[in-house]
Amino acid sequence: MSTHDQFRELIEAYALGSLDSADRAVIEAHLASGCAECAKALEEARWIVSQLAHLAPAAEPSDMLKGRLLQTVRAEAAGGPGRQEAVRGAAVPWWLWAGVAALLLFSAYSTWNERHLRDAVANLQRQAEAQRAERQKLEQQLRAAKIQAHEAMIWSDPKSVKIKMPPKDPNMPQLEAMWHPEMGLVVRGWKVPSPGEKRVLQLWLIPKTGGKPMPSVTFWPDADGTFTAMVENPPDALSDTQALAITEEPMGGSPQPTSAPMWVGGVS
Amino acid sequence: MFLAVFSPEGNDEVSPDATLMQQLLRRDVSAFEELYERHSRIVYSLVLRILRQGSTAEEVVQDVFLQLWRNSARYDVSRPFVPWLLTLARNRALDHLRLKSERQRRREEQTEEFPQIASAAPEYEKALDEGRRAERVRALIGTLPSAQKKAIELAYFEGLSHSEIAASLNEPLGTVKSWIRNGLMRLKEGLQATS
Repeated sequence: MSTHDQFRELIEAYALGSLDSADRAVIEAHLASGCAECAKALEEARWIVSQLAHLAPAAEPSDMLKGRLLQTVRAEAAGGPGRQEAVRGAAVPWWLWAGVAALLLFSAYSTWNERHLRDAVANLQRQAEAQRAERQKLEQQLRAAKIQAHEAMIWSDPKSVKIKMPPKDPNMPQLEAMWHPEMGLVVRGWKVPSPGEKRVLQLWLIPKTGGKPMPSVTFWPDADGTFTAMVENPPDALSDTQALAITEEPMGGSPQPTSAPMWVGGVS
Repeated sequence: MFLAVFSPEGNDEVSPDATLMQQLLRRDVSAFEELYERHSRIVYSLVLRILRQGSTAEEVVQDVFLQLWRNSARYDVSRPFVPWLLTLARNRALDHLRLKSERQRRREEQTEEFPQIASAAPEYEKALDEGRRAERVRALIGTLPSAQKKAIELAYFEGLSHSEIAASLNEPLGTVKSWIRNGLMRLKEGLQATS
């Protein structure tokens, strides 16, 4: 096998993002050397990898998501044309734009300066894009941190009620839940097997009045069998709930349970 | 089922999606709504499969579509739209997953806000519409042995590296590498065979 063939063997996994760091460094160095054949193969491999999305079980987003998005988009559209440019402009410090203006004046006198101006503008755009990417990343981190902090607060607050959820099947692990009267409900599990194909786990609130179980969130454990399901606004109050239950349901959840509870925990 | 709304995309003509993306440059809300109607289900399905929780998945899908709206100028109309959108959504979802689990980022798109997808779709992309190609992808991957299929799913949906997959499945590293490469090659050949 030639050295080139060895590089080609890494292309698909590189496009998938599954290479370990040593292999990734090898293929990135090779691609940086300008191998046109591998670059073309990588483009095709990225297309192939994107097709794996079709393996995801079909699911429908809520109507509320569309409503929120359209509300935001309409508000931004009504804010006048060129908001995108306004955002970009806001992300660039004023002194950089001053630098561009200075370069513009200077470039009027020589083509040499024109070339430098183009470089400067490209550099500014790169900086603006980097700043925007960084801002989006920070917003994402902030959201994730808020969720984690919220979960931690529920778990540690003395007003939270701990609910043990023993399994019906003795071979399954016990789950734990914490319910805070104001902050919401968190359910955690470890070593929980994945539900079947196109199935999810769904949380239910059993009312004290003996009425129908109230449907709540759906979720899956990760590859290690770990999950954390948080419900900020449970469909019923802690004081009105007799028990929590978890069943396995079809993808997207069910309005009422279609299988026997796998875990049930009494709310004291 | 929901994939049937997709239409083929080729190199030599502007796809309906590319036209809608161009309309976004003029702040056309109805074009945005149509793009959302066409693709929100597959994007949500993918993100939900990765994140496993509906509320978090909706946050990420919202981010993805707002990114389309706010940065439509950065989409190259010569690129196939749906794979580009799906790669963008996968990157966002895996970033979110990794932020939560504090795993190190491993993907090549680590610092890319917008993904790099083939500047032109492979020839065989034109052979099937998106719905039929989705069925074909599921059928082709479905023929793989379950452990091989699991390895590919762990890489794609969980963002795991070869080493992490080998540890998770308790299989030799070399075996996992072969499974993933051979599985993707079989997918490629299967899609080529339909062209």
